[in-house]
Amino acid sequence: MLGKLLKYELKATGRTLLPIYAALLISAAVTKFISLFSGSGDNIPTFISAFLYILILVGMFVMTFVVMIQRFNRNLLSDEGYLMFTLPVETWKHIVSKLLIAIFWNVASFVVTFASIIVMTYDEIFVEGLWPQIARGLTELALVLGPDSCLVILEIILGSIACMVFGTLIIYASIALGHLSNRHRTMASLGAFLGLTAFAQILFACLTLIPNVRVLQHYMDTLQESLQTSIALFHYVMWFTIGFFAFLSVGYFLITNHILSKRLNLE
Amino acid sequence: MPWDLKPDRPIYTQLVEHIEWMILSGVYPPGAKLPSVRDLAREASVNPNTMQRALAQLEEDGLIITHRTSGRSITEDSEMIQKARIRIAREQVSEFLEKMKKLGFDKKEILSIITGMIEEVGK
Amino acid sequence: MNAILECKGLTKSFGSKKALSDVNLTIERGQIVGLLGPNGSGKTTLIKLANALLTPTSGEIRIAGMKPGIDTKKIVSYLPERNYLNDWMRVHDIIGLFRDFYVDFKPEKAYDMLKRLNINAGDKLKTMSKGTKEKVQLILVMSREAELYLLDEPIGGVDPAARDYILETIISNYNPNATVIISTHLIADVEKVLDHAIFIRDGQVVLSSSVDAIREQGKSVDGLFREVFRC
Repeated sequence: MLGKLLKYELKATGRTLLPIYAALLISAAVTKFISLFSGSGDNIPTFISAFLYILILVGMFVMTFVVMIQRFNRNLLSDEGYLMFTLPVETWKHIVSKLLIAIFWNVASFVVTFASIIVMTYDEIFVEGLWPQIARGLTELALVLGPDSCLVILEIILGSIACMVFGTLIIYASIALGHLSNRHRTMASLGAFLGLTAFAQILFACLTLIPNVRVLQHYMDTLQESLQTSIALFHYVMWFTIGFFAFLSVGYFLITNHILSKRLNLE
Repeated sequence: MPWDLKPDRPIYTQLVEHIEWMILSGVYPPGAKLPSVRDLAREASVNPNTMQRALAQLEEDGLIITHRTSGRSITEDSEMIQKARIRIAREQVSEFLEKMKKLGFDKKEILSIITGMIEEVGK
Repeated sequence: MNAILECKGLTKSFGSKKALSDVNLTIERGQIVGLLGPNGSGKTTLIKLANALLTPTSGEIRIAGMKPGIDTKKIVSYLPERNYLNDWMRVHDIIGLFRDFYVDFKPEKAYDMLKRLNINAGDKLKTMSKGTKEKVQLILVMSREAELYLLDEPIGGVDPAARDYILETIISNYNPNATVIISTHLIADVEKVLDHAIFIRDGQVVLSSSVDAIREQGKSVDGLFREVFRC
């Protein structure tokens, strides 16, 4: 059942987002094209095209965010909710399917941005100059870190995912909490969002009072003492962050799930 | 014949009457096969349970026979049918006589009106 | 277990307002039941409780002996009063969705009914009139071989010909194992099709009787309703 929900989520969200992603890539190509034709690349047509590109880029990130919210709100808490919640599917599957697709589009938006940059800067000179340099820099870093480099990559990936999951679930929980009130649901959701964010910040501040974390602060102040310490510090911070986001994400998920299964009240 | 069902009497009794009429007036001749309960219900726009009850009643009255494998059919027993015809005729006449009595007619007047009209209608 | 729906002391409050108060009901299988009452009497609340769209404040409600949940959703087919279809889909797509999630859904039946009503399955729901969308919803609900059909105001916004078609569909779909509950305030139109009538007012059941019993008293259900609910 989860797979089927994912399929419909993808279809529903892709309709809006894929055209924008395509537009971004096309805009990048067009900009590149124009700048090639006009030689130096510093003239009005290129400028306009690049400006459009930036607009589309911003629009893409905004839409990815808006679609995530709208999809959750409209599909589950408006009239469509009558269809969704009478399907023989557990509530948590509804939440998880939307969460997974939201993360998918988040990642996709970065991938597409990266691809569009490559399209725009694909230049004999650039390619020969810039990318080899980056590649060399990365290889050096990998050598320095040694076997740790795999761990670091893992931590960065997990950290990004944890951050996205946290960001999405805090919004879902806010919307669900807003649903509990009878009027001004939007205001209530915003209020809930502020509340949940404040809670997260306070929790974080409290945790940093724990002795272990204090020691961490000390280390941070005396950074660069040695490479080993810096790396250990990095690991520590990353896992702490991942754990923190994971813990809160579970909490927000449970809140959302409870409200949608036990306190649902569709108009 | 349109199924004209009145709102203030039980539906199944009206269905029994209606089907009786159809049998006795030849719309469903003796031995004819009846449509399924569901089809009849759909035709009459009534609940299949109600139609089922009506058919059960008619079976009890002997006008309909249920065959184990091939559904329902009208009885071929002409005596049964004749009995039902007469019963309905008597019901109609008794209703008529009631009304006539209320209007104040006596036996002689009623008879002469009837004989007169039978002549007229006969032409 | 013959009863398809059972309510025992069922109460639902929204804050201080009691939408349903101590409702006790038993509905058997193989019946077409009318849930009749004015707007705001609690009909929709009762139906939502049966669909697990609301949770009881106290008392209980059981479908085929089970508490409302995933297993009951598999055997209950619900037609809400509002339009719940994803506007961006085509009719084909929504049929696909029903087929994906409901084991008892019969696509052939749905396509057949669509053809009878001259609705093109390739059309986008967005382009259809409100009346057509309602017909599509009804077709989807009736194309499932469910054990309990809950129809909330199925004939409200439809023209008389469509109304007849809807009642005809309900009759044709009838099977002795399933029950149809029709919630409506348009009683005269629906009376002939009902086995049983339940009158509900201000969250309480005021009458639960077979239609025959009512008519044997020389009244139509509509007539009795007007008497009971006289303003």
